[in-house]
Amino acid sequence: MPEFKIQHLTKYTYPAPVRDSANQIILYPIQDEWQEVIKQEIRISGDPVIDTFIDYYGNKVGGFTYSEPHSTLLIDSKILVQTKHKPLPGNDIFPAQQWEDLKHLRFMVPYIDFLRLEQFEGFDDLKALVEAEKSKEDTPYQAVLRFSRYVYDNFRYIKGVTSVETTMDEIWKLKAGVCQDFAHILTLMLRLVDIPARYVSGYICTHRSTIMRGEGATHAWAEAYIPDYGWLGIDPTNNCIANETHIRLAVGRNFSDCSPVKGVYKGTSDHRLDVSVNVGYEDDAPSMNQPVEFINTPPEHTEHKPLSNIPKNSYQRYLEMLQQQQQQQQ
Amino acid sequence: MLSRVAASLYWLSRYVERSDGILRMLKINYASSQDTVQEFTWEPVVRIFAGQDEETQKLGNDSRAVMRYMVSGKNNPNSILNIITLARENARGVQEHITKDLWQCLNEYYHTVKDNRIDNALKKDDPVSVLDVLIKQVMLYYGTVEITMERGEGRSYMNIGKYLERGIQSVDILDTKFGSIDDNPDLLTDTTYWKHLLLSLGGYELYLKKYREGFEAENVLEQVVLNNDFPRSVIYSVNHIQRYFERLKNDSNIDDYRELSFYIGRLQSNIKYSSVKSIKDEGLHQFLTQIRSQLYGIGDALNNHYFANS
Amino acid sequence: MQESGYFSQYSPINGVWDEMYGVDSIREHYSKVIDYLSRESSEDLARKEELAQRLFMSQGITFTVYSSGEGIEKIFPFDIIPRIITADEWAFVEKGIKQRLNALNLFLKDVYNNQFIVKDGIVPIDIIYSCPHFLREMYQLQVPYDIYVHIAGIDLIRDHDGTFYVLEDNLRTPSGVSYMLENREITKRLFPDLLPQCCVRSVTEYPNILYKNLLSLSPRQISNPTIVLLSPGIYNSAYFEHTTLARLMGVELVEGRDLVVKNQKVYMKTTIGLQQVDVIYRRVDDEYLDPLVFNPASILGVAGIMGAYRTGNVAIVNAIGNGVADDKAVYAYVPEMIKYYLNEEPILKNVPTYQLSNRDEREHVFANINKMVVKKTNGSGGYGMLMGHASSDEEIEDYKKEILKDPRNFIAQPTISLSAAPCYMQGGLHPRRIDLRPYALCGPDGIEIVPGGLTRVALKEGSLVVNSSQGGGSKDTWVLA
Repeated sequence: MPEFKIQHLTKYTYPAPVRDSANQIILYPIQDEWQEVIKQEIRISGDPVIDTFIDYYGNKVGGFTYSEPHSTLLIDSKILVQTKHKPLPGNDIFPAQQWEDLKHLRFMVPYIDFLRLEQFEGFDDLKALVEAEKSKEDTPYQAVLRFSRYVYDNFRYIKGVTSVETTMDEIWKLKAGVCQDFAHILTLMLRLVDIPARYVSGYICTHRSTIMRGEGATHAWAEAYIPDYGWLGIDPTNNCIANETHIRLAVGRNFSDCSPVKGVYKGTSDHRLDVSVNVGYEDDAPSMNQPVEFINTPPEHTEHKPLSNIPKNSYQRYLEMLQQQQQQQQ
Repeated sequence: MLSRVAASLYWLSRYVERSDGILRMLKINYASSQDTVQEFTWEPVVRIFAGQDEETQKLGNDSRAVMRYMVSGKNNPNSILNIITLARENARGVQEHITKDLWQCLNEYYHTVKDNRIDNALKKDDPVSVLDVLIKQVMLYYGTVEITMERGEGRSYMNIGKYLERGIQSVDILDTKFGSIDDNPDLLTDTTYWKHLLLSLGGYELYLKKYREGFEAENVLEQVVLNNDFPRSVIYSVNHIQRYFERLKNDSNIDDYRELSFYIGRLQSNIKYSSVKSIKDEGLHQFLTQIRSQLYGIGDALNNHYFANS
Repeated sequence: MQESGYFSQYSPINGVWDEMYGVDSIREHYSKVIDYLSRESSEDLARKEELAQRLFMSQGITFTVYSSGEGIEKIFPFDIIPRIITADEWAFVEKGIKQRLNALNLFLKDVYNNQFIVKDGIVPIDIIYSCPHFLREMYQLQVPYDIYVHIAGIDLIRDHDGTFYVLEDNLRTPSGVSYMLENREITKRLFPDLLPQCCVRSVTEYPNILYKNLLSLSPRQISNPTIVLLSPGIYNSAYFEHTTLARLMGVELVEGRDLVVKNQKVYMKTTIGLQQVDVIYRRVDDEYLDPLVFNPASILGVAGIMGAYRTGNVAIVNAIGNGVADDKAVYAYVPEMIKYYLNEEPILKNVPTYQLSNRDEREHVFANINKMVVKKTNGSGGYGMLMGHASSDEEIEDYKKEILKDPRNFIAQPTISLSAAPCYMQGGLHPRRIDLRPYALCGPDGIEIVPGGLTRVALKEGSLVVNSSQGGGSKDTWVLA
């Protein structure tokens, strides 16, 4: 039973003090048969009270505020988590029966949310592609593996070309991105063939010898619903099954349902974000107190916004305010 | 009182006071431009109220262009049109806190300055008449505030805004006018120069009564900085800021109150215990710079402690 | 009956229910008003109309229309002739609205908790889950007294035989109630003594009832909880209404930037520090309410307010997420909801509604488009709808293309003729089409509806659109005792 010690640090630094910040964190690993949290400690600068609740998708969500002027915001989450290997789906049911079973999920909660398609310019292309990729004899499980390979082979993994605000259209044109884009594309492809697919955020914890994409930061992948099996984790960024080395933090329809840290504050729009995820293993010397090396993540990779500075140009901001105020009506 | 409401009242009042200063300045300088053929320049007026940029440089010394820019200029953020629009918007957001009379009065000021006839008249007709129409609107505003506004917290914020704006204006005008002397020492003995400075601050008649020996830079300085009875002197403004701020004392925000009270008191003492001699020893520009920064400091502290950074 | 010239010339529209004119004669409940008006000359009425205009203007009962950055202040056109509703008609409408609101409240409670109605297949699940106003953030969130709709403005119309139909359930931030109040004040000035003579019921209780209900929602059991009205700001067309209601209830009018959330509590920023807020009557849409949870670009909202709401530290009126119940596609199922939750037959009728996401219904609508009104399921204010009978072929074709892009966003209804009422214009009385929006208030003690409402009128001859944005005006609405 693998056991991981994870330290996830998120640090915002502002050139001038900001205030009235309200934040939401989804940093609590899911607890189920395959994943057990032994210990978790979250420390946040200013020692705010963290109020937690369970959201619609079953994720534990924390909320906190930081009203006093501050120039840094540090969120330090230390987790000790144990995972189990989840056996893979068998192939003992006829493919046709499985596809038939999937059709019935279309009008069922919660699957209905994980089957919803989104319109974008390349939709028809994607649809044609999915039709071409899917083989008639495939079981849903095989289709999942095939689509994952397709995304892995056809999309380039490049950091910094996309952000949480990049639209599907842009990703489709770029044919490149990071884990969240890979996961996004895969969920769409699966939904197109009636396989419920959800977005997962979490950590990847591989052994030292292998280097995987998505280490050192939060990772994202997908889960596909396989009849008579349940949710199967699939990581298109590394083209592998997401199993005991993938620690799940949250599931949802898309990135914004699972956003690990987001916040709104008043003050300067400039900020620097440093994120680090360090994983230690059961046989390691205690790593929790080691100095941490930050990776400077471009701020566009999280939703962290000043409330009063959108957009920067104050005339544009005025027009935006006019428009927003005028829109409210019934 | 909501912080935003207090801030709106304060800004509304600052804008109207600023418009008053601009209009009077324009009126006197226009007269001056008709009097002096070579020496006259609009540059200091434009610099004080509109800053220096490409747009203002294009104006040159064309009186009508300058006045149109300062009164109805859409691109000048400090034009009467733009600041009165802002004043009115501030008033609109706090309609429950001002009297109907006052709202209507501001509304009328706004419609008057917005009327195309103002701009047309500045192009062709007698500019003084135009400025007088607008100055009258300001006077109506002050009368209406005086007669109708409840003597409460709201009016204190309005008065603090008014006197802070006035103090800053007087300091700016002095600094600019005396600054010009460094470039051109002949001005020191130029009586028209001082006469116009006093006229634009409405202090000419008072000066004549008080100083029989003619126009002396030192006397002008004394009147504009230190005279307790001259309503546009710096000390008069600061005394009134202090007076209205004292009324805001409340048990719930005693720390905020003390901090601001300290800033205001310090500024008041700085001026009160200065003399023309000590100012000259320190250097006028230095002295004015310090006063200005303390006035701004009071504005910032109000924003921090009372207006919740609105 | 003595009738002066402009009454004898009144000619009702053929095949349309006329509120004043029955079969060959004036209806009983209009007779006293007609008697009164008959004593006035056409010039008198013209003077009264002028007076009304002046009163609206001088009292600042205006809204601002923005074009190319410049604001122009306008008054909402007012017709001086009141619209009269009999005691019996009102009793029926009142009962119908109460029934409907009870069901809608139960529906909201259900859809955000157990979803019985969906599991039982009464309301199709995909209609709920595809509705952008179905907010998963509201799932299992407990609201005080299980009341979601505190204020409803249900739009009613009357068909050619006088039958009342519900056109729309406005359950989010319905506006217009200030006009109900102000129109009555103006009428008092225009027609001295007429209101008591006609036994017209008063509407002035509205702000008091609303205030009482808001007070009852306070999470803190203190004698003087802080209640605020949250407005988008001065540029909103209903800003006048926000100031009026705040004044009449004696509550603070705030904007989003006046509020801040700290440890799941909402505070307003005052000159003497933070003051906790207990109840918020908000006139800001859901999407803009919390930039942390909903639209991150919103500058009208309060970051973190959803957390305060969820923990029960602040009450928000109306509840968040009500849009799933007044979505026009969900509207079609309200009669079924009434049967399902209350085991009653619906009192007020629904206008037949075609779901354009359903292929058969869509084809039927396309084939009969001249008799149809097509609307966006999430639209309001009369924007973006297609009146089949009054549109060119080209407009219809363009609209069809729009529909096919995402049919879920559209519904169609057969054109209902709308009843007409006399309006004073061009020196005489002319029939114009009207609707009725009564305002219902739900509190812990039940539903109360002040006897009256906003009668909107399509001032253009032949027009069926009453929305103010589309050239509509309003009338004072009398409910007789």
